[in-house]
Amino acid sequence: MTLAPSLRRTEAGPTRKAAAGVVRRASRTAEAGGLEARRRGTRVILWTALAAALVLYGFPFLYLILTSFKTPSETIAVPPTLLPTTWTLENYAGALGRPGVLASFVNSLQTAVVSTLLSLVLAVPAAYAVTRFKTPAGSVFVLASLVTRMVPPVAVGLPLASMLGSVGLADTPVGLAIAHTTVSLPLSIWLMCSFLDAVPRDLEEAALVDGCSRLGALWKVVIPVVSGGVSVTAIFAFLASWNEFLFALLLTAVRSQTTPVVIANFQTQFGLDWGPMTALAAVYSIPVVLLTLFLQRRIVAGMTLGAVKG
Amino acid sequence: MRLTDRRFALLLMAPAAAFLALFVAYPLLRLVYDSFFRISPVAGGPREFVGLANYAAAFASEAFMGAGWRTLVYTLVVVTAEFALGLAMALVFAALGRRAQVFRTVFLYPLMIAPIVAGLLWKFLMIDNFGLLGALLAQAGILSDPNQIGWLSDPGIVLYSVAIPDVWLTTSFMCLVLFAGLQNVPGDLLEAARLDGARPTVLLFRIILPLLRPVIAVALVVRGIDAARAFDTILIQTNGGPQSASEVMSLLVYRTMVRFGDPGLASAMGTVYLVAMLAVAVVALATIWRPGKDT
Repeated sequence: MTLAPSLRRTEAGPTRKAAAGVVRRASRTAEAGGLEARRRGTRVILWTALAAALVLYGFPFLYLILTSFKTPSETIAVPPTLLPTTWTLENYAGALGRPGVLASFVNSLQTAVVSTLLSLVLAVPAAYAVTRFKTPAGSVFVLASLVTRMVPPVAVGLPLASMLGSVGLADTPVGLAIAHTTVSLPLSIWLMCSFLDAVPRDLEEAALVDGCSRLGALWKVVIPVVSGGVSVTAIFAFLASWNEFLFALLLTAVRSQTTPVVIANFQTQFGLDWGPMTALAAVYSIPVVLLTLFLQRRIVAGMTLGAVKG
Repeated sequence: MRLTDRRFALLLMAPAAAFLALFVAYPLLRLVYDSFFRISPVAGGPREFVGLANYAAAFASEAFMGAGWRTLVYTLVVVTAEFALGLAMALVFAALGRRAQVFRTVFLYPLMIAPIVAGLLWKFLMIDNFGLLGALLAQAGILSDPNQIGWLSDPGIVLYSVAIPDVWLTTSFMCLVLFAGLQNVPGDLLEAARLDGARPTVLLFRIILPLLRPVIAVALVVRGIDAARAFDTILIQTNGGPQSASEVMSLLVYRTMVRFGDPGLASAMGTVYLVAMLAVAVVALATIWRPGKDT
């Protein structure tokens, strides 16, 4: 589960790897270390602290969802209400019915899918080369891709906008997907490196002895074994694109705008239209939040695969 | 003909390397190049070589120096808050053991939310008049009036307020990384210290934190670099206002380009920003990351 944080568009890799190593070791030494509180009183206090933290953590998003079911006047009522006095779907109808909103979902999805595929196609072979053939070029490559993750997006975004414009990719999902891949590719390379590290060499060596080509061994033997890792990487690459805002703002106009930009635009274009804005934000986030549970299992599966095989 | 392993490896890396060169390295070179020109904001407009004039203008401008300073303060605030909260949560989780496992998952969910949405929902909580935060604090008797604190409208505190969504979003990251690190602290060591009568604070500062040092270093650097690039959450909350009091570097570069239409100056500012970030990143990588090692 320590992989999860890596999906935030900006983290660089070292932590993830450090954490992965830590977890791998820890999973064997069992969780009940010397840190567990023994006294009953302490445990009660800690459970209370945990409950308070969870409320603080869960509440803001819950309030967003509650607000999205309020009537427009109640949304900005003074003093604010906690629960809607009248529940209504008005905001959802209003937000989704607005021109361009549904199209933005399609754009977000298209961009994220293209960017994910692009990241995987580029990252998997590269990571394989880095982990299997420990060449100096490989080390330089990994280091360079790590440094890439520390570049401020705005510094890449401005020139990239004019570059893509001059080749006719301005305001297209493909252009934006390319920009998103500049973020997700280094992340994917890093993730795939640690997943591939855990695959034993004997497998491919056996395949090579059996007359398989090296590319064939990668495709037919290694990738199936590491498919859990590939899907985890895919999820992170997808989310990095789905949640990205700055590139989307710089590189798209009306035609291929993604939903985050549309959400932000509610603010200026329609005045402070809180109701529909919260509804749209909820619709955009709920699938992802619900996926957390599913993701969790997937990621832990990927990690333990690595641990067992390694 | 059979390729050598080295050639084969290069061939597999080539597409990704070419992609990064074309879409990251090349744009950055262009950014640096553009910073020496005065450029018309109209596409294909005239450009004139002005040497270091854009840099001179940047360093002479209060906006640029202010944004640099605010970026630094913002980063320190975010990282400190996240570290303190994340460590506290990690210790709570570790102390509660297996039974708290489910809640660690719940704690993960903000990591999945788009920063733009996080900024939006905190803006809604902190906004003047109908913001819930002021109302709740007033009801609890902490504030005399719900609008006593202008979270997002008081230039004196806005830089701290806009940091809240960022802290909310990624404290889980800090917590998870530190929790993973805690799993690696040998239990018998703690047990021995306890038998020697060490108090919990001694355990924390003398044993746990020193052992966690590598993990802490990586987590702080990663989050620091992240916070120094903050854009989405601040843009949606205040757009840098009021009176530029929350205008951090990303936002200033963006606005110089888009709002004030000065690509040359924006490029110069972006270049300084980029160089500063890369310098920090390289120093950080060189000190904490060694290829081939796990930590």
